[in-house]
Amino acid sequence: MDLNATLLGQMIAFGLFVWFCWKFVWPPLLTAMEERAKKIEQGLKDSEASAKKIVEAEEESKKMLAKAKSEAKQIMDNAKAQSEKIVDESKSKATEEKERIVGSAQAEIEKEVVNAKKSLEKDFSSNVMSAVKKIVSKEVASNDYQQTIDKSLNEFRK
Amino acid sequence: MAADTSGRTFSEYLSHHLQNLVYGKLPAGYERVNKDGTVEVLEKDTWTFAYSGEEVSEMGFWAFHVDTLFFSITLGAAFLFIFARAAKNFSMEKPTKLQSFVEMLVDFVDNTVKGTFKSAKNTLVAPMALTIFVWVLLMNLMDLVPVDLIPYPAELLGVPYLKVVPTTDINLTAALALSVFGLYLFFSIRSKGFIGFIKSITLHPFGPWMLPANLFVELVDMLAKPLSLALRLYGNLYAGEMIFLLIAGMVAWQLTFSGIMIGILGTLLSLAWAIFHILIVVLQAFIFMMLTTVYMNMAHEKFEQH
Repeated sequence: MDLNATLLGQMIAFGLFVWFCWKFVWPPLLTAMEERAKKIEQGLKDSEASAKKIVEAEEESKKMLAKAKSEAKQIMDNAKAQSEKIVDESKSKATEEKERIVGSAQAEIEKEVVNAKKSLEKDFSSNVMSAVKKIVSKEVASNDYQQTIDKSLNEFRK
Repeated sequence: MAADTSGRTFSEYLSHHLQNLVYGKLPAGYERVNKDGTVEVLEKDTWTFAYSGEEVSEMGFWAFHVDTLFFSITLGAAFLFIFARAAKNFSMEKPTKLQSFVEMLVDFVDNTVKGTFKSAKNTLVAPMALTIFVWVLLMNLMDLVPVDLIPYPAELLGVPYLKVVPTTDINLTAALALSVFGLYLFFSIRSKGFIGFIKSITLHPFGPWMLPANLFVELVDMLAKPLSLALRLYGNLYAGEMIFLLIAGMVAWQLTFSGIMIGILGTLLSLAWAIFHILIVVLQAFIFMMLTTVYMNMAHEKFEQH
């Protein structure tokens, strides 16, 4: 065994290597590795939480959907009822209207009839009067007024 | 590999492979023997590479294993460069393959350290464990490079010796172990206090009336830590390298006698040992890291009166 000054040189080299590793290699590597480990842990936690959230959200959406369906049904029912009501109302209104129109028309007709009768009566009397006048004038000329009256009456009857 | 046989015996081949490339000072008046046999007398102290075992021993303590330093520092720098780049380009969303690999290692070391080292306040231990594990692993892996692949071309380029596996050099393993031991003492004294530290090595395990025995036991126990750290890694890797060398040498030297069959056998043996050695390579790196962490944990334990 030949121990010599190489020993001292190697001790210095070893010291320098350890110092370099201690200062410039180990800390950055280890901090980076630990940081990443934390990141991964956090990521796993986050993904677990978000999976939970997704389930919750699904349930929530189901609930909301059911609620919306029932609401929609209610709205539909309401609308149906409303429309039925409107239809009924309009039907009854229309009936009323019809009755009113028909009533007024009848009244009109009746009025017309009365008017016509009145004018007829008026015509009749004027006819009678003219016939009478004719008869009277013929009586003066001839005595066949009876015949004239019959004639007028016939005319009227027609 | 057979190319190395020229002019060398098997044992010369082995000892050549087990010699580091040494740079040191030869004293004035030293007689250098050149390759052609001529002798050159140095006029003054000379810093130079050693070209023989005698020159190496002449250089004494103040000499450097250039190959060990070069390969270990290159590998350590590569490790830090790659890891620092992965840290700088860290992406949460799109990790590259390199990043994933780096993360895997960091995570592995972090878990190991957290399982053993209980004092969360100390931030040095985990990065030190990472450095030790990856660096030692890289150096050990050099053992799987075929034994002559780098030294032989280097020799042709004029490099007299070359050992490419830094962990087969006791200087390196001892340097790591002593550094760890220094930190152990530092943290022990810091966490227990100087008095507490003295108490922990004198009043333990037999109580105050057996103080010398306590001190002896504790000192042996303490010194065993760096020694076992250094020698375990060194021994395992040195032995592994030695087996590769023996197999390679067997192929190279027996080929002339027994023909091609020995060559094939040698290749297969080398492969088998390499595959088995992968286990040792990783295991030794892990053990070094693990024991370092355990010692650091011991250093932070509070002194308890038994």
